[in-house]
Amino acid sequence: MTTQTSLTATFEDERYSWARTRGTRHRAVLAEAALLAALVVATLLAAGTDDGWTTSFFVVWSVGMVLFIPLHSLLNLGIRGLFDRGRHSLDEHQQGLREHSHARVGWPATALTFAAWAGAVALVAVTGHTVLALCLGFLLWFAAGLLPYWHLAWTLADEDTTEDDALPA
Amino acid sequence: MGRQPRGDADRVHDRIAVLRAERRVSRKELADAVGVHPQTIGYLERGEYSPSLVLALRIARFFDLPVEAVFSLDPLPAIGSELLRRNQ
Repeated sequence: MTTQTSLTATFEDERYSWARTRGTRHRAVLAEAALLAALVVATLLAAGTDDGWTTSFFVVWSVGMVLFIPLHSLLNLGIRGLFDRGRHSLDEHQQGLREHSHARVGWPATALTFAAWAGAVALVAVTGHTVLALCLGFLLWFAAGLLPYWHLAWTLADEDTTEDDALPA
Repeated sequence: MGRQPRGDADRVHDRIAVLRAERRVSRKELADAVGVHPQTIGYLERGEYSPSLVLALRIARFFDLPVEAVFSLDPLPAIGSELLRRNQ
C-alpha cells in the first residue's frame, strides 16, 4: 500500500501533467546534460589559463548551478519524483521502475564516479588549480548521480491520460 | 514484485479493462482499492507491466473472481464467447 505525503502530493498534482509527456521529459534530460557538459567545458577552459578561478568563471558556475534547480524540478515532475520519494509512497510498479533504472546505469555511474576522482587528480597534477579540479570532480560525480533520473525520464512510457470515470455500462 | 514483460511470450494478459467497464469502476477506484497508483492500472491494462502475485490476487478479490478469470499467460477470449462455449 502507498502513503501520501506532501512531497508525493506535489509530484501527483495534475496541474503538472504537461511535464509528464515524453517530449518534455526528453527535452529536460537533454537540457540538463547540455548544461552539465557546458560547465565541464567551462571548467576545463578555465583550468587551461594561468588565472584559473576567475570572477567570470564564478559567474558562469553560479548561473549554471542556479539553472539546474528549475531544470531538475521539471525533470522530477516528469517522473513523478520517483527517486526522491520515500519507498512507502511508491507502489510495486513505481519501485520496479526505480530499481530498473538504477540497475541499468550501474556501470556508467561507476565509471563516471571513477572519472570524477581521476579527472580531478589529473587536473590538479597538470594545472595546479585545486579549486577547478574540485569543480570538475563535483560535476562528474553529480552526473553519475543524475544518470538514473535521465534513464527513467528517457525510457518511461507515456502515461494514459484518457478520462476513465465515464465508463460505458 | 512484478516486472515489465520482455516480450509477448513473457506477457500476462488480463481482463481488467473489461471488468472495470462492466462494473462501472474507474481506474482510480480500483487503484485505491488495491493500493497502487492509477497509472499502474493503466500499465497493467496495456500489458506493459506484469503484476506481482499479491497484486493479481488483490485485483481478483476486488472483482470477486478467481485469479485465473482475470489473468492468464495466454490471450484471454472475450467473456461473451467464453460464456457461449460453456453453455454448449
